[in-house]
Order: sequence, then structure tokens, then C-alpha cells
Amino acid sequence: MIKDHAEAATLGRRSALKLAAGAGLAGAGAFAAARPARAATTTLSIWTGFPELQPFYQAVADAYSKLHPDVKFTIFATSLRECEQKLSAAVPTGTGPDLFDIGTNISVNFVDGGLLDPNPPEIDQYLKSGAWNTHVVDFSTIDGKTYGLPLMEGSRASMYYNKSLFKAAGIAEPPATFAELVAAAEKLVKFDASGKMTRSGISLRLSGQGSGITEKYRYLLEAADASVIVKTPGGKYHNNFDNDAGRSALQFVVDVVQKYKIDDPKVQHDADAFVAGNTAMLFREAWVIGEIQEKNKSLDYGVAPIPKWTAASPHKMLLQPWLIYVNGKSGNKAASWDFLKFLTNQENSLRLTSMTGWVSERADVDWKPLLETTPQFAVFVDPPKDISFYVEPILTPWDEIQSKMADKLTAAFINPTLSGNPAKLAEAVHEMAVQTDQLLKDADLYAAS
Amino acid sequence: MSAGYSSAGQRARWWLPAAVDWRITLFCYMTLAPVLALFAYVRVYPIAWSVVLSFYRWNLIRPQKPFIGFTNYLNLLADDNFLLALKNTAIYSLATVGLSTVLALPLAVFLARKSRLSAFYQTVYFLPVITPMVPMAIAWKWIYDYNYGILNYALSLFGIGAVPWLTDPRIALWALIIMGVWKVLGYNLILFLVGIRNIPESYMEAASLDGASAWQRFWRVTLPLLKPILLYVLVTATINSFNVFTQVYVMTLGSQAAPGQAVRVLVFDIYQNGFQYLKMGYASAEAVILTLIVLGFTLIQFRFARAQEE
Repeated sequence: MIKDHAEAATLGRRSALKLAAGAGLAGAGAFAAARPARAATTTLSIWTGFPELQPFYQAVADAYSKLHPDVKFTIFATSLRECEQKLSAAVPTGTGPDLFDIGTNISVNFVDGGLLDPNPPEIDQYLKSGAWNTHVVDFSTIDGKTYGLPLMEGSRASMYYNKSLFKAAGIAEPPATFAELVAAAEKLVKFDASGKMTRSGISLRLSGQGSGITEKYRYLLEAADASVIVKTPGGKYHNNFDNDAGRSALQFVVDVVQKYKIDDPKVQHDADAFVAGNTAMLFREAWVIGEIQEKNKSLDYGVAPIPKWTAASPHKMLLQPWLIYVNGKSGNKAASWDFLKFLTNQENSLRLTSMTGWVSERADVDWKPLLETTPQFAVFVDPPKDISFYVEPILTPWDEIQSKMADKLTAAFINPTLSGNPAKLAEAVHEMAVQTDQLLKDADLYAAS
Repeated sequence: MSAGYSSAGQRARWWLPAAVDWRITLFCYMTLAPVLALFAYVRVYPIAWSVVLSFYRWNLIRPQKPFIGFTNYLNLLADDNFLLALKNTAIYSLATVGLSTVLALPLAVFLARKSRLSAFYQTVYFLPVITPMVPMAIAWKWIYDYNYGILNYALSLFGIGAVPWLTDPRIALWALIIMGVWKVLGYNLILFLVGIRNIPESYMEAASLDGASAWQRFWRVTLPLLKPILLYVLVTATINSFNVFTQVYVMTLGSQAAPGQAVRVLVFDIYQNGFQYLKMGYASAEAVILTLIVLGFTLIQFRFARAQEE
């Protein structure tokens, strides 16, 4: 009897569920029939490690959405280091964005791990269409396949100089060699009555931590005709600064601090110092122009190529193309690639530089409208013809090599015992070289020749 | 009936105490189960996984994880950065724990006196404890600024020249220690204050009647009775100081910052190896060593305190 009752109750529940399901389906069908047909919306997510790029991405996304109303965007910007960490955790686990811009120190790992697809044929052709220089295309190529599209130039530093201070010191032209730079900086540096430096003649990167210190040291190292590493004919690498040129470069920075006293780690540094008039010269990328426009529009300044090591040496300039990629695990690859083509077209390339100060990598942009308003961009967008470019190596341990070298450099720059002591300075250089080679050995990338 | 046996004469299990209704025990375990499961998932599992990872070479991004035994541990012993981080962390920990305890104890004795301003002072000292570390580290970076910092300005009023707090590698670690003491002082102070206020008034009165001076009352009555609190303060402060990271990270960022090597501490080194160089196995080995060090210190402190009690 009890069983019968239970069965009756079960049948009752089943009937009720069927009824509810039928009613639900019917309702949904009727609702769908009543609504006009509408294309599904695609939402593309973009992550960047440059907060100043967010307004640019938003502007381009808005323009794209006008042409493609079914595509929406979410843009997330954070500091570069945080973005690197978030992407390193999110991309392998399939929780990353559809699109992201990142340095090759991270993307090369994604390629190794099969997390980035090679560019589809259409994008590959677009990249090789002549809109970008060959070295930029080569930079985007790993094992014969291209990955991502070049968004902007991540380095290409030049020398900012304060024209008012130069004029007051009676210096007519920006220095053309490093010897001239020292002579000019000695006239421009300023001390208070107690002998404390209040304005540096040149602001070099002397303190802190991280790969950026070595990256900025390379402006001098490469000018002196050395480099952190060099590729062997067999495709491996070894250090290329445990030599006269490498020792000269370190000697220069040590002398800047210890002998000439034209810079001091204690005074304000970098773009902040230049914008505030607390340094007369600075080696930096184009984004500083944006900083000056935002924080001190009245600053009278010019931008020239980084000086030659000697009058007979070539001008050198670091190239570090910054690429934007489509996540290999994205569910919106077709829409993402289409947006990337739009993002990197001529119009948006000009928009990038105008809005952010970062220079587009495209070689076919008409820069006239930009140069008419901000002539300081000239050296970045149209460098002198005699400039010799050097590019960022694409190696897994590159960030570690630069960061660990930076740790030793910051100690060496302010070590008074290295001034006027070539043997001890050579020892310091050798120690860094041994460390660099060891890191290459650990990654199975080392060869002595 | 000896302890450990139930009324039914059966040996009690550790999870089923004697003379307790098993339904109550079951209820307790069932109630605790979600919390314990969550604890195991967010605490125990990651720690166990870190130990496992420390025996592998694993780049965070790559799927391959070759087993390499103790290689990560052996490499750490020859890693200059790790050894430097170990030394800096030990100095930071010893100085921060020592100074914050030595300063907090007399302050607590002073504030334990009945005073209208006592609550105000307690709040002032406790404020740094509840203030988030990142904005505070940025504020301290400004305080320490060579040219515009308020600390150098204050020193100049006494005719003392400007000190390069962050950029001089010989001073940078001490700048961090000062900030560390400032941060933890209020917490230690409150704990000592609670301990002092729990000491029965009659003990102090008896000591006074026996002619004990203020110093003797502190040394012979207050301090011995504060030993459990002192032990707790030392253990928690040691654990926290070995895990120092945020202020180091903030104060080495940018061009106007402390040299990385001067203030390299263990967690910073772990962070750099794990999240910057993506060497997760290596970073895990470092984390395991850090855990063992902290565990070792804690056990030593407990043993020392127990020996004192005996």
C-alpha cells in the first residue's frame, strides 16, 4: 500500500516535470519566434602591460565596433610585470584573453609550449606585404613561421636634451660623441652650496633592479661596439662584452659617477627628472614626448640620436618590436585576426603614436601630420640614414641574463674601487661574462665560438 | 578505568574521544568538514604540490616537466642570489623581530597604566598594522627620498646631512628594517598589553609590599608571566619577517629605487625565479627551504620556551 502510494507520488512528480519542461520549451519557442533574428555578439578581450595604451585600444575598438556592431571589446591594462605574470598563468590554463601584447621574452615560451599558432596565410602575407621592414618581419619569425603582428617599437631610444639649459650653458648643439657628452654634462651639472648634486648632466639608469637596467646599459655597450651576447655561426651564443669594448662601456658609467661626477644615483632620475628639469640629458624611448606633453608642455627640448662612441664610430639604435598576438586557445580567432589587421593599419598606426607617444613599427605611415605638431618625433619615426640598428635576441633565458647582469651592474656603477683601477674593473666585467655564459649553458644555448 | 578507554572497555580512537556520544562527535566532524576541506584545498594541497614540483624542472608555460631529483636543491646551494637572499632575510628577520619586541615591551608597560590618552596611543601604534602594505611602501619610498624626503628634512633640523636611504646598498636593508619595525610594532604592543592586563593586580601589590622596585616588579613578576605571550610574539614575528616581500618589491621598482641585490630577500628571489624567469621547480625548492627554515626556528623557540618553563 505504501509502495503504491509512493509510485503514485513519483508518477505525479514526473508528470509535473514533463508538464513544466513542455511549457518551458513552448514558452521559449514562442519568445524566440516573437523576437527578430539577431547575430550573436562576439566579445574580444585584450590585455596589455602598458596602461597608457588603454585609451588607444579603446578608441580603435570603438571604431571597429562601428563597422562590426556584433563585436564588442573588454580591455584590461596593468603594469608590464603584472601582465607578464598574469599571461604566464592564464594562457597555458586556457583562461587568457583573445589578444595580448607582450615582449618576446614571454611569447617565445608560448611558441615553445604550443600556445601560439603560427600566423594564418592571410596574416602572414599581410605582414610580408612591405608595410614593415625586413628586420621587423625577421623579428616576428621563429623557425620559418611568423607569429603575431608588430604593434609598436618597444625601444628605439634617442637622446633628449634640455634646450634651455644648453643655451644657458653656451652649448649650441647636442653632443655627437660620448666625449662631447661628458664635456657638455660637466657644464650642465649643478650642485648646491654644500656640494650636493641638484641637477645631473646626464641621467643614466644606475639603481633599482630588473632587465631594464641592462637594456639601458646596452645603449652604451653597443655604441662601444660590444654586446651582451653574440650568435655563433653554429646558431649558439656567448657573451660579447668581456673585451676592450665591454670594459670601456663599464668604465664610462663608473667615470660618469665617480670621476666626472655628472650623475649620481641619489638625485632624481629618468623621465621624471627630465620633465622636471632636474637633468639635462636622457636616453629614452618616444613615450617620454607624451609625458612631457602631459606634465610640462612648456619644456624647451630636442631629441637627437644617441651619440657615437667616437667620431669614427657608427650611430647605433636598439630595435625591439613589440608584437600583439592572438591566443592559441582563443575561441574567437577569426574575429581576433580581423581586428588585428584593423588595429595595425596605417590610420591606426598614426593614431597610436599621436595618442601614446609609442612609435608604430609600420614603415609606410605618413608622419607629416604628427611631425608638424611635434617635430621631436622626427628622430624616432625617420632616423638618420647612417644609423646602425641592433635587435633584441629572442631567447628563453634573455630576461634572466639581463636581470642578473643588472644586479652586478648596479653594484659596479657605484663601486669607487673600480674608478682608476682597470684590473679590478676587468675582473668585474669578467664576472658578469661568466654569469652570462653560465645562463646560456644552462639553457643549452652556449658555444664558445 | 584508565584514560583512553571508553566505558565499554574498548580503546578510544583519537577521532572518537572516550565518554562522548559518537553522534556528537560525528556532528562536530560533519560541521567542520567543509572548512577542513577548504583548508586542505587552499593550504595543504598547494604546499604539498610545491614539494612535489621542487623535484622537477618546470617552466611555467611548457607542459613538459622532467623529473630531476634533488638537482634544484643542489643548484640552490651554489646560487649566489639565493645565498645572498638567505643572509639578507636572516639580518632583516633578526633585526625586525628583536627591535620590534624590545621596543613594544616597555611601550606596553607604559600604556598599561591607567591614562585617559592610553586608548589614543594604542590606536596610533596599531594604525600601521591595519594599513595596506603597498600604499605604505610607496609612502615610505617618498619618506626616504634623498632630496625631498621628510626623514632627511627632519635630520637636517639637527644639522645631520642627507642620507641616501634607498640608493646606498649599505643602508637600504636598514631602511627596510625601520619600516618593518614600524609596521609590526603596534601588533606586538597590543599583544603585550593584553598579557600585562591579565596579570592579577594582587601579584603586583604583594611584590610592592615586599619592597620590590618598579624594575624588580617588571623583571621578577611581569616578564616571567608574559613568557607565553612573548613566545607567541617571537614565533609570529619570525614567520612574518621571513616572508617579507611587498615592501622590497615596491622599493626596488623604478629608477629611483633600492639596488636589487642590497635588499634581495628569500620571497623576492622566489618570486623572481618563479614568475619572472618562469623556473617554477627551482622556485618551489626555494619555497620548501624557506618553509623548513621557518619551521626550524619555530621549533627552536618552542623548545627554548619549554626548557625555561621546566
